[in-house]
Amino acid sequence: MTRLTRRSFTALAGASLGAIATAPLARPALAQAKPKLVVIGGGPGGGTLARYVQKDAAGAIEVTLVEPATQFTTCFFSNIYVGGYRTFESITHGYDKVKREGVNVIHEAAASIDRARREVVLSGGRRLAYDRLAVAPGIDIKFDSVPGYSEQAAEVMPHAWKPGAQTRLLTAKLNALKDGDQIVMVAPPNPYRCPPGPYERVSMFAHVLKAKGFKNARIVVIDPKPAFSKQKLFMQGWEKHYPGMIEWQDPKMHGGLKSVDAATNTVKTDLAEYKAALVNVIPAQMAGRIARDSGLANASGFCPIDSASMKSTIDANVFVVGDASIAGDMPKSAFSANSQAKVAAMTIRGELTNARTFPARYANTCWSLIETDDDIFVGGTYEPGDGKIKQVTSIISQDNEPADLRKRNYAASVDWYTGIVVDIFG
Amino acid sequence: MSARARPHQAPAPTAGLALTLVICTVGPGSLAADLEFGRYLAAECMTCHRSATATSTIPNIFGLGRQHVAAVLMAYRDKTLPNAVMQNIAGRLSDEEIASLALYFSITMKP
Ligand SMILES: Cc1cc2nc3c(=O)[nH]c(=O)nc-3n(C[C@H](O)[C@H](O)[C@H](O)COP(=O)(O)OP(=O)(O)OC[C@H]3O[C@@H](n4cnc5c(N)ncnc54)[C@H](O)[C@@H]3O)c2cc1C
Ligand code: HEC
Repeated sequence: MTRLTRRSFTALAGASLGAIATAPLARPALAQAKPKLVVIGGGPGGGTLARYVQKDAAGAIEVTLVEPATQFTTCFFSNIYVGGYRTFESITHGYDKVKREGVNVIHEAAASIDRARREVVLSGGRRLAYDRLAVAPGIDIKFDSVPGYSEQAAEVMPHAWKPGAQTRLLTAKLNALKDGDQIVMVAPPNPYRCPPGPYERVSMFAHVLKAKGFKNARIVVIDPKPAFSKQKLFMQGWEKHYPGMIEWQDPKMHGGLKSVDAATNTVKTDLAEYKAALVNVIPAQMAGRIARDSGLANASGFCPIDSASMKSTIDANVFVVGDASIAGDMPKSAFSANSQAKVAAMTIRGELTNARTFPARYANTCWSLIETDDDIFVGGTYEPGDGKIKQVTSIISQDNEPADLRKRNYAASVDWYTGIVVDIFG
Repeated sequence: MSARARPHQAPAPTAGLALTLVICTVGPGSLAADLEFGRYLAAECMTCHRSATATSTIPNIFGLGRQHVAAVLMAYRDKTLPNAVMQNIAGRLSDEEIASLALYFSITMKP
């Protein structure tokens, strides 16, 4: 049925040839200066969006990207770094090319959004006027979702769910472990960024310990969820490569997480107490603060969007893409953020310059490495439907696939990383 | 093994060839190939394909023959060509979308 819609649409578009009337929004008058797009956040969502508008509008839209960091370390492939397969430098990228392409990159944080006046207020006090605003701040960690956890505790028990220093801290602690040491991971509740991420990370922990020849390593996962992404595939892989090393506990097995204590490196559940040499606490998450403070999030802590455009349902001049958005069936991933940004970029050009627009469509694929050359994936394509972004096709790796297939998966994931990074940062 | 051979590695892949014939009778030109639509749809492909090299696992698809791209996408859609990742991507493509993508990639060089 979606095909029918698209067919009739194509016919229509052919007939009207670009003379498509768009949303009944205030558009800058012709004589006025160029329309202005401000993008908050230079990750997969914001970076892609800024670049695609800049490239496709060919100078007709003034694009400003607001991002405090001058270097962006990707969370995606950070597990591959933890596993020792990549350097930190290889997952860190700058904005030089984005700037060279003509995007005005301002390395400051957005302090607030004055939606009534359509202005972004920067941390330094400067105000940036916008015709359209894109908000892509990623997630914030809900430290208080885990009793005993805090920003200070994260210096001892890293979450490493935001990239950079936390990822390095986690890796340093992992590499300092001795045989017989125990690792405890507190896994996050839904929804969180990168559904298979915690389990790929557990695999990378195990890989590092196994590679060192440790015989008595133990990894305990305390999970608030009864099931997780690619569970069967991960568990088969753990059994195959790391027999007896990883113990995953669902809520029935641990009875509920009671607290963590950074002073003693202990994790208490209803049924047991674990003293670990490395504790990786991944708390619940919410949209980045700027989105919540500006009233763009709902009670869930994330931002509702129109599935056909990624436009905020709260403010028609604002788009929200990436992890901060409520993207229906799409997982929070860099792939998803990149895909959503392309739909938003097209819609924004349609509204600001009358560019032709097409029906929204989205895609995602998430690869996970279990052990060297044993890589699995899950993926889907998505379109607007039933009032949300709805999955239309899906794939997942199969049980016990031939080794050469799993090896090719890893090679493909490396190619994907190379490609998406260029798509985001130029 | 041979089932996993990449279509462009063989000069005349069976599945691809059979489909090429089908396409010739329909003819990509007779379908509503729309370059601008193809360009929009192609943004999805960029994520994986944009940095492909001669030796990469994800192959280059820029500057390929129009009929080759159309035939291969149809074969992925019908699952006559293996590779779950591409079968997923092609699974929802209509004939018009395939024709538009084929047109776009046949005349576009790698950015
Ligand atoms: C361990 C791990 C592994 C992962 N693996 C994968 C994977 O294999 N594949 C995949 O697709 N995804 C993966 N992900 C998920 C992926 O990293 C995220 O989904 C993705 O980064 C989301 O992009 P985003 O643009 O929404 O947010 P972010 O990447 O978080 O970027 C947000 C940006 O906004 C900036 N910002 C925040 N607030 C402000 C403000 N007030 N003013 C200005 N700028 C601001 C931040 O500095 C940041 O640079 C993984 C995540 C983790 C944690
Ligand atoms: C998630 C990553 C991914 C995305 C997105 C993707 N591809 Fe692919 N593509 C692949 C992989 C991997 C292969 C190699 C398959 C194999 O090895 O059998 C491939 C192969 C191909 C081929 C075969 C090339 C040849 O030489 O014959 C074509 C054509 C192709 N893709 C077109 C597309 C188009 C068009 C799109 C966008 C609609 C797209 N792909 C999106 C991963 C992707």
